[in-house]
Amino acid sequence: MTPEPVTGDSDRAEFLDALATGRVTHAMRAARRLLKPRPRLHDLSFVRKAVAKTTHAAGIAPVRIAILSSFSIEFLHDSFEALAFLDGLRLEIYQAGFAQFRQDILDSASGLYAFEPSVVILAVEGRDLIPQLYGGRYEGPGEKADATVAAARDELVGLIRTFRERSKAVLLVHNFAPPRWRTLGILDAYVGRGQAQYVNELNDALYVASRQMPGVYVVDYAGLVMRYGAVNWYDTRMEHYARAPIAQAHLPDLAGEYLKFCRALAGRTKKCLVLDLDNTLWGGVLGEDGVQGIKLGPTYPGSAFMALQEAILSLHRRGVLLAIASRNNPADVDEVFADHPHMLLKREHFAAEQIHWGTKSDSLRAIAQKLSIGLEHIVFVDDNPVECEQVASELPMVTVIHLPTRPEQFVDTLTLDGLFDSLSLSEEDRRRGDLYKQRDQAEELRERSTSLEDFYARLQMEVVFAYVQPASLARASQLTQKTNQFNVTTFRYGEAEITARMNDPSWLVTTVQVRDVFGDNGIVGFVMAQATGDRAEIDTLLLSCRVIGRGVETAMLAYLGAWARSREVRWLHGKIILTAKNQPARGLYDSHGFRRVGDGENGELCWILDLKETSIEYPSWFRIVGASA
Amino acid sequence: VKILRHATESRIKRVMADVLGIDQHSIDEGTSMDGVAAWDSLSHIQLCVGLEQEFDVSLDVAEIEHMVSYRKIVEILQPKVAEI
Repeated sequence: MTPEPVTGDSDRAEFLDALATGRVTHAMRAARRLLKPRPRLHDLSFVRKAVAKTTHAAGIAPVRIAILSSFSIEFLHDSFEALAFLDGLRLEIYQAGFAQFRQDILDSASGLYAFEPSVVILAVEGRDLIPQLYGGRYEGPGEKADATVAAARDELVGLIRTFRERSKAVLLVHNFAPPRWRTLGILDAYVGRGQAQYVNELNDALYVASRQMPGVYVVDYAGLVMRYGAVNWYDTRMEHYARAPIAQAHLPDLAGEYLKFCRALAGRTKKCLVLDLDNTLWGGVLGEDGVQGIKLGPTYPGSAFMALQEAILSLHRRGVLLAIASRNNPADVDEVFADHPHMLLKREHFAAEQIHWGTKSDSLRAIAQKLSIGLEHIVFVDDNPVECEQVASELPMVTVIHLPTRPEQFVDTLTLDGLFDSLSLSEEDRRRGDLYKQRDQAEELRERSTSLEDFYARLQMEVVFAYVQPASLARASQLTQKTNQFNVTTFRYGEAEITARMNDPSWLVTTVQVRDVFGDNGIVGFVMAQATGDRAEIDTLLLSCRVIGRGVETAMLAYLGAWARSREVRWLHGKIILTAKNQPARGLYDSHGFRRVGDGENGELCWILDLKETSIEYPSWFRIVGASA
Repeated sequence: VKILRHATESRIKRVMADVLGIDQHSIDEGTSMDGVAAWDSLSHIQLCVGLEQEFDVSLDVAEIEHMVSYRKIVEILQPKVAEI
């Protein structure tokens, strides 16, 4: 007998090789195999160190993160940085000193502010904030406890407010898990408010405060502790020995929770879920078992597949696009949709379908093209390891979920990573499925039109310019975070940063809404520009891919020109920061009479328009609303 | 028994190399907390917890405080791993 090879050796070798040769996407894929579904701690250390050492990884977007905590949280860094790499993110971490969160926030000259983070995590354990509410120090409900909890709540909200005034960074603040044991035991909530209720009220107050302050989000730490169970989550040994209460085996779960926010902020939220059919949406193989034979219904195992369909439907309601990639006979699939009594997912829920015997990678390419989204925004779900591997090797940018063998585990596998989580839910999200249907209709109209002008006229488009308002703030921020193609600078902005500009009269902060004969597309464009003296600079100009190719960008420039003139601005400056994705925006300034004037300090391409000589007109096919800037 | 011992030792070295950021092949009987710069109190805890997870064993604080060299780590882990 020879010694067993240490598991993961080939993945490690592939990972190191890909990293050394600058093939970051391949390195990510190998690291994913090494670390998923549940990573080993020393593998995380290994990946973090290798990534930190590699200069190629410097090419991926850095996120500056500050971590403030009431306990020892340094052990988190390995998990956080290694798992961030799987999402194509590189973290630069500022770790505040042990339990220094108050000082770091209150002292405007602290290392926290000097670091200029883009994201700040405030991780405070309930027992550190209010020791009198946890464990043996709790004396029962009453005025004294009420006052203690209220004081702690006010202190915390005050800290958050101070931070919000001093920094534009996004703040992620932990809520609080209830005590592991109730001091009064089963009597807890009978002698007055229980301990757990005090904690709930504190958490409610935290959510209220975060809703009132832009760019402040609550990390549902209590929910995380509950998911894994407090007795597993905490390591009392390390709590006493190293002031590190969270069991290290669960640090990847905490890091994963933070990464949901980081992905959303970095525009890496997944947009489309592509599903296999056999043994994914139902049990069994349709071609062999027939419509009556597939497993889908109220009893096991059909109930597990129904539960998955329910979870998918909830994603659809949040604005996730659904698509099918299946090797099946289309006629059989038609029959399931038409006749199966337990199909919760209906045909109209799917924005694209690829049902044929070709490869899944071809299907995914076709789906991405039809929906005008990048492959890196697609999550592909399949039970078949061969299909999964085929997609992973052909299209390494696609996130592949290989379903486990037991269908009852499907829902957790799909949902717990929060791949589709975003920081806002707009009206546009809820209606996204319909919006894509409208676009299909517009495509048909284009085919029937004799010329482009004729097509535009038939669309009867109305473009609405409006200053950003509280109601549209979330959508504006979301557009900066999600729009990759028609976006001249791809600057990403949180609500706090946009709010600051709304209150500054030198800034133009305007949303663009487009309606047409098929319905309201909602807010699909956003522009920010700043006027200083006789010049104005366009900071952000973006357009959702849904309405590209209709001349809306010309209307936006016309609007900007009018605004600039009203400010007695002569020179309108535009710049383009090249990314892998913003090809569609690159010709914008050239095609509208701007003059190229070289490169900026950071390599951005610069243009200028003399408003005295040139003016940009609104295209004749639009009805313009709100034009008087 | 000898093969089992060898496999255990290479797994220990792997965990040490990953956590401390040192070459696996540089680890020998003489490797200790005093001689490795990256082996501080913080990485020591990471190392011990990493070993616990790798071998699915549990260590008490006295054992953690005792495991300050490769030799002592093997000494403490070997019987726990052999029990399984």
